[in-house]
Amino acid sequence: MGLILHDLTPLHWAVSGAALAAITLALLFITNRRLGISGGLEDLCSLALSNAYFQRGAVRSGRPWRLPFLAGLVLGGFVSAALSGGWAPTWSLGLFDSVVGLGHAGKLLWMFVGGLFIGFGTRLANGCTSGHGIFGTSNLEWSSMVSTACFMGGGLLTTQVIYRVAFAVGGGS
Amino acid sequence: MTALYVAFGAVFGFVLSRSGATDYGFVQGMFLFERFQMYGTIGTAIVLTAPGLWWIRRRGRTALGAPVHVELKPMTRGTIVGGLLFGVGWSITGMCPGPILVNIGEGKVYAVAALAGALVGAGLFGSVYPRLQSLFHLPPIARASQC
Repeated sequence: MGLILHDLTPLHWAVSGAALAAITLALLFITNRRLGISGGLEDLCSLALSNAYFQRGAVRSGRPWRLPFLAGLVLGGFVSAALSGGWAPTWSLGLFDSVVGLGHAGKLLWMFVGGLFIGFGTRLANGCTSGHGIFGTSNLEWSSMVSTACFMGGGLLTTQVIYRVAFAVGGGS
Repeated sequence: MTALYVAFGAVFGFVLSRSGATDYGFVQGMFLFERFQMYGTIGTAIVLTAPGLWWIRRRGRTALGAPVHVELKPMTRGTIVGGLLFGVGWSITGMCPGPILVNIGEGKVYAVAALAGALVGAGLFGSVYPRLQSLFHLPPIARASQC
């Protein structure tokens, strides 16, 4: 089964993994930056919130590279859609639509609630799939290996509860 | 330099978009042990990044000659609790932070709500940070890393 995006067949995992590694290494080797995306949430918050946490030195000094990188991520998604059948707004959610099946308002609420966990959790853990999962684990950092095990575990458990218990799929139905 | 960061982000985002990492079904397929794609992608990224990082750090200099600087992430109680919470959010939305932004670019309307939630969650964390410090053994604000 393909991607939600134009039902594309994804890149082979060895190709996508190698490409992510190449960017991670180039970011350090050329520009001396440690890959990390969830830190960028703080950069965005710092544009609106004036409390001490968001105005500390680490945020102010990281903004000049993180915000352009984040903008690039949005651009990359746009280009990916535009080159594969055209860009168009969509509400399609694949598996979610066929099993959970909420309307637009329900999806927005569902995603907002999930986002709260992502924002609070990644900042408490000091990283996400990129900074902990790819960079920190590759760098053999203890905190990254622990955090990666925790977020993989948290995700596994939650998905199992959603799709094997609350909305059981593949159980003979 | 700004253009270079935008370019790096764009390539990273494009690859995420075509890897399945921005796709709700592929993320759930990973957590349901039904699809290997995300394990293969993340595993390959780690296996190839590790020796590259080792080499860059051993070299000690960037391509432009600057001393390589890699800030290490501290281990706190938040590493565990925050990781678990993030995992819950990753499962609910089918997105981690990078793919939220890539999905907005792809035109997935609901990703805007995920971003709004993530910003409110991060904003809430920063606003209550002083009250979480002792509970999670977090460093003082001035030394709180952002990496």
